[in-house]
Amino acid sequence: MNQNRPKKKIGVFVCHCGINIAGVVDVEKVAQRLSSYEGVDFSVDYVYMCSEPGQKLIEEKIKERQLDSVIIAACSPTLHERTFQGVAQRAGLNPYQVEIANIREQDSWVHSDKDKATAKAARIIKSMVEKVRRNESLEPITVDITRRALVIGGGISGIQAALDIADQGYEVLLVEKDPSIGGHMVQLSETFPTLDCSQCILTPKMVEASRHPNIKILTYHEVDSISGFVGNFKAVIRKKPRYVNEDLCTLCGECEKVCPQVVSDEFNEGLSFRKAIYMPFPQAVPGTYTLDTDSCLGLLPIRCGKCMEVCEPMAINYDDQEELFEEEVGAVVVATGYDLYSLDHLGEFGGQKYPDVVNGLEFERILSASGPTGGVVRRPSDGRIPKNIVFVQCCGSRDPENHNPYCSKICCMYTAKHAMLYKHRVPDGNATVFYIDVRTGGKNFDEFYQRTIEDEEVMYVRGKVSKIFKEGDKLIVWGADTLTGDKVEMEADMVVLAMSMVPAQGAADLFKRLKISTDINGFLAEAHPKLRPVESLSSGFFLAGCAHGPKDIPETVSQASAAASKVGDLFAKEKLFHEPTVVSAEEEFCSGCGICVPVCPYSARSLNRERGVVEVNEVLCEGCGACAAACPSGAAQQRNQTDDQIFSMVKAILGE
Amino acid sequence: MNVHYYPGCTLKEKAVNLENSTIASMKILGCDLQEPRGWTCCGAEYPLSEEKIAGLAAPARILRQVEAEGGTKVTTTCAFCYNVLKRTNYALKTDPLKHKRINAFLKDDIAIDHDTKEKTTGFPPYHGNVSVVHLLEFLRDDIGFKEIRARVKRDLSGLNVAAYYGCRLLRPYNEIGMDKPDDPVIFEDFITSLGAQVIDFPFRQECCGSYVSVSRPEAASEASYRILRSAKIEGADVLVLSCPLCYYNLDRQQNLIKEQHMEFTGFPILYFTQLLAWALGENTGSLGLEEHCYNPAPLLESLEKAEVAE
Repeated sequence: MNQNRPKKKIGVFVCHCGINIAGVVDVEKVAQRLSSYEGVDFSVDYVYMCSEPGQKLIEEKIKERQLDSVIIAACSPTLHERTFQGVAQRAGLNPYQVEIANIREQDSWVHSDKDKATAKAARIIKSMVEKVRRNESLEPITVDITRRALVIGGGISGIQAALDIADQGYEVLLVEKDPSIGGHMVQLSETFPTLDCSQCILTPKMVEASRHPNIKILTYHEVDSISGFVGNFKAVIRKKPRYVNEDLCTLCGECEKVCPQVVSDEFNEGLSFRKAIYMPFPQAVPGTYTLDTDSCLGLLPIRCGKCMEVCEPMAINYDDQEELFEEEVGAVVVATGYDLYSLDHLGEFGGQKYPDVVNGLEFERILSASGPTGGVVRRPSDGRIPKNIVFVQCCGSRDPENHNPYCSKICCMYTAKHAMLYKHRVPDGNATVFYIDVRTGGKNFDEFYQRTIEDEEVMYVRGKVSKIFKEGDKLIVWGADTLTGDKVEMEADMVVLAMSMVPAQGAADLFKRLKISTDINGFLAEAHPKLRPVESLSSGFFLAGCAHGPKDIPETVSQASAAASKVGDLFAKEKLFHEPTVVSAEEEFCSGCGICVPVCPYSARSLNRERGVVEVNEVLCEGCGACAAACPSGAAQQRNQTDDQIFSMVKAILGE
Repeated sequence: MNVHYYPGCTLKEKAVNLENSTIASMKILGCDLQEPRGWTCCGAEYPLSEEKIAGLAAPARILRQVEAEGGTKVTTTCAFCYNVLKRTNYALKTDPLKHKRINAFLKDDIAIDHDTKEKTTGFPPYHGNVSVVHLLEFLRDDIGFKEIRARVKRDLSGLNVAAYYGCRLLRPYNEIGMDKPDDPVIFEDFITSLGAQVIDFPFRQECCGSYVSVSRPEAASEASYRILRSAKIEGADVLVLSCPLCYYNLDRQQNLIKEQHMEFTGFPILYFTQLLAWALGENTGSLGLEEHCYNPAPLLESLEKAEVAE
């Protein structure tokens, strides 16, 4: 194995790191010992190699002695490998001719016997000499970027991200599974803490997105799968048949009038009805009708066909088909939002049994001027105005034993808002809120909450509700006041449950198809909780909004803008660079067994059955080396980490 | 059909009407009930203290006897016995430490032969493999509610029934697992199979006062009163239950409730097996209805009269 030992002039630079290394390792002795090792042309020690004079020393010696490779014996390569690669580059040496011998974390910090630590340092450096002797000079792999972003989800986070990316001058595809963009925010009545009308502040953004020359909105579409890598993704998008041509539809509404099928209206959370052919809400974008085949009598003129008969612009087409198509994008923003935890999980609150026990979103619709009651607070069962209303916070949140362990974050504020709006509409009514804690972190939030208590005289009871049931036409709420320790029983005309927020329906499935990681609760995981909060661990994927965890509108908008600016960072680069220390599949040795293919966590390797060899997509390879270890024939060799190098390093370490 | 049946002590003493109606209706349904030989009290309450081994010995011994007699299933009607037996079985199956300690304890039991008076010991371990089912589950899964529907002789369609679970049939859910504790249906489905009308009432899983009736009878009867009041408000003619202690609190203590609540005039209570036996054709005379504080016989008979009148 030693026959191909290239003749190289190698420089060894031993760092004292103050007393971090020199306190335990006799660095002068190490440098001296190494100077006589085969291939080492020059060896020296210095107090701080990473300091300006230290770097200069290395640079000068490379030039002066015309070194082919250098070893820096110092701290872990995670700290200063890049620094010293830069030094080499300035001296005209290929950065992949630089190796770090870690004699701090792996030696001086973990030993106290000076003689042994010194001997170990010498061996560590010798092993790196053996490695660097066989290092090739490498150039980074460069990749082009498709400067076009895909935003998944058309709620406020998706809209904001799309607008911000588009304003930077890049094309955006905004994919939304529902017939209109707008998400949950468009369902809300007024927003805390300013009581802005939610629709009034959102619809201009929706219109702006639809008019923006750089944004293409695909509503009633879903992302099927994404392949490729950062800068070069291929997204397969599924178009769901709408059966109405959005360009031809004039919104005359004749179809809706004649449609005989009446079903519950999702936009109003089931509190009102819509037809099978419908527009989700008047400001929907795109402004078009959609035919919902689940409730339609059948797409055959012989069965019904009434809507097609009356459609003057002939926009209705029963032959519309589901389509799959591919789009090329360079970055993906995942903004799939949230849904509310189902009332099914809280049988003791009777949410599915009693129409007057509603969740927060239903109450938003009841409060909304565009809602089923025109903004008058009426209870669903008989339309009466409730004089006693009870709000229950943390329904399914902060309950690790039975439900979700996390805090849904926005419920304290929206419950205060609900109670306040209720008191505005029903001034002689009584509102009671059951809470565990009230969390009002946010600008002007606590002031808002104090107003709810003091000005609006909403009663706050600290405690949990155990059971809600009906007696006559009253709801009875049982609970505990945990401040007094008393059992509480009160009558209510209506109860609003602040249900926990959970990842949107179908999100878990989508995340799996996109191969992006989630946390224990199914929300998207960020690359670093503090320093990289809008990036996914999968390069090229960015997160925004409640898909990442419960958050309010201001926070969602900030995160969406942050994600958009990260996309901008990526697109502003001329090329993407990729580490060249990838693992090959040497064709003369590869038997095509394919063992390395499933071993690769990055899907970088594939078996070409026709040629009987494995092929490598170098851009996907992260150089983990799993395939090199698995390969039985030695065909998978990592650049600058070949089997030959590893064996000679082991020998040097063992002192053979 | 033949199945092991653990009556429990209450059914031999205070709740003979529950036992009699159980045996009578199972006979009509073609099922022989076989008591495990030499059974003892189950302990009545699953041990509440941390030292659980002594309290689990008795129920484990009963289950071991069922297995020794070749049984794979044991059914019981008393909600307390059901709770204790099922949870003991669960503990033996899932907790290796309890399994080890209980079996070490029971190994040294002494069996005395009835005829020879010969003593033997060294019992094999019991692993929790007998399945413990409540009679309601047995009726649902082994007899079948459909089959019961076909065997019903009387018309109960005019009877509005409040099905009362109490606490012991449903919780703790992970150990009992009979039905969803917040939204159970088995009792309602049973009542429906008899042809009666089920009324939904929110107190069906609330506690009747349990054995607080010993130390503070007025507190227990207050709890019972609320259950009866709710059933009445929701339009029930009768409340049906499975637990002898619930029966005691809800029926036998009605005089105490009357003292506390002037407007309360009494309310009929039936064991589910009494209603079953009657629906299957037994006469009111054989159901032990006269023992009830509020005799439900006139109610049942009035249904029959209404039927005749039609």
